[in-house]
Amino acid sequence: MSELASEPSAQREPTGFLYPFLDAEERDQDSLLGDLAASARAKAAQSAALRSSTLAESAELIATTAAEMARRFHAGGRMFAFGNGGSSTDSTTLAALFARPPVGQALPAWSLTADQAILTALGNDVGFELIFARQLIARSGGTDIAVAMSTSGSSKDLTAAFREAKRRGLFTIGFAGYDGGEFATSSDVDACFVVRSQSVHRIQEAQALLGYQLWATVHEHLAKIHGHELGEQ
Amino acid sequence: MSLGIPDRTAGPIDNALDEDLSADLASASLVLARRFAAGATLWCVAPAWEPHAQHVAVEFVHPVIVGKKALPAVALTGPDLVATVRVSVRPGDVVLAVAAADDPAVRSVMRRAAAWGVTTLWIGSGARPTAGSADHVLWIDDPDPRLPAIGGFVLLYHLLWELTHVCFEHPGLLSPAPPECTEEVCITCSDEGRLGEVIAPGADGLAQVRTAEGAELVATMLVEPVQAGDLLLVHAGMAITKLDEEVAR
Repeated sequence: MSELASEPSAQREPTGFLYPFLDAEERDQDSLLGDLAASARAKAAQSAALRSSTLAESAELIATTAAEMARRFHAGGRMFAFGNGGSSTDSTTLAALFARPPVGQALPAWSLTADQAILTALGNDVGFELIFARQLIARSGGTDIAVAMSTSGSSKDLTAAFREAKRRGLFTIGFAGYDGGEFATSSDVDACFVVRSQSVHRIQEAQALLGYQLWATVHEHLAKIHGHELGEQ
Repeated sequence: MSLGIPDRTAGPIDNALDEDLSADLASASLVLARRFAAGATLWCVAPAWEPHAQHVAVEFVHPVIVGKKALPAVALTGPDLVATVRVSVRPGDVVLAVAAADDPAVRSVMRRAAAWGVTTLWIGSGARPTAGSADHVLWIDDPDPRLPAIGGFVLLYHLLWELTHVCFEHPGLLSPAPPECTEEVCITCSDEGRLGEVIAPGADGLAQVRTAEGAELVATMLVEPVQAGDLLLVHAGMAITKLDEEVAR
């Protein structure tokens, strides 16, 4: 791979010294801007295709997962979302969608990365691997839901959290990319959504839409549950 | 559906990047790369959706592609955002907002940007900000209030990161374009009216004012009274107009 990657520059190098000012004088701004815009459109199209195929592949899992989430929310369950880096921010956005929805009923959901004091206390005292597991020990119970967003599906702090969540009876939902990583094969993960891509960015974009669809479907199921209850009265 | 939560599976996917938005992204990326090359820090704000500001910052600081340059980017969050941005930015920096057009804190930051000497990028959806509100407006014209949660903004700032790094592969284009005006007197370059923000009003009709060039003493007798935070148009050391909150910029 490194040989292939270096090939173009190796071809350029023999003559590069003849034109020392080539880069410095590169003023072809319009050509670069045209390339950038075309690249942006191509990547956006890839993202759209991936989001579309991911939703299609995950339709059944979304339906069953949302049904169980709705059952738990209805029974007083709550949702805890977490992840690392960009995925932590995406899991925070997902928790906010549940807790402060632009439309529909608010459901109890939190991000486990929200409190710096707790994160640094746990990271410093018991190790980074346990930053989420320890919070679940302190806060969660058997009717709750744990959602971890990841691109690798194998981060140690997330797998440790799922191990703890499963032990405590939580319903566990993993978002992963690539081939699903450890989430895909772990018995600690009840529902694993895999975005089949090698690009961290495209994976995260598709996961955001999956999370949205999960939220919307949870509300469909809650509406049915409420409808049944009204019918029984 | 009884709850009025329609299926978004079609909408956001159809929301492909059109020619205009991709051109806006391209020019914003080149400007951002140029500012970074000149030493800028990228300050990210998203008052209603703070995780977006943090996501942008982590993209630039800790790139997902090994070997890409780590760049200074910071998410600013919490209360009194305008004051936090004011104390953070230096001339030449860039402020990126992810916010609706009516977000009061972001509108205030954008109005003050010229006085602070910063370049502005504004990502959002729904009704657009007034033309000229920010240097670069990257906008999804979809009024759906759920849009911030379905990945459209994530796509936009991922692309901004990716294109900015493409620009770094063209070092010859990273120095700013030569100034278009070389005439001795010119409306654009002369001291016709620069935006300034009052740091502190003083005695004798003078005030400490922050402009893109730094702090300066400005005569305020034409616009008295002034208080800290007021925006003034400064001409030849004299404040000639005080701008209302909504007119500045």
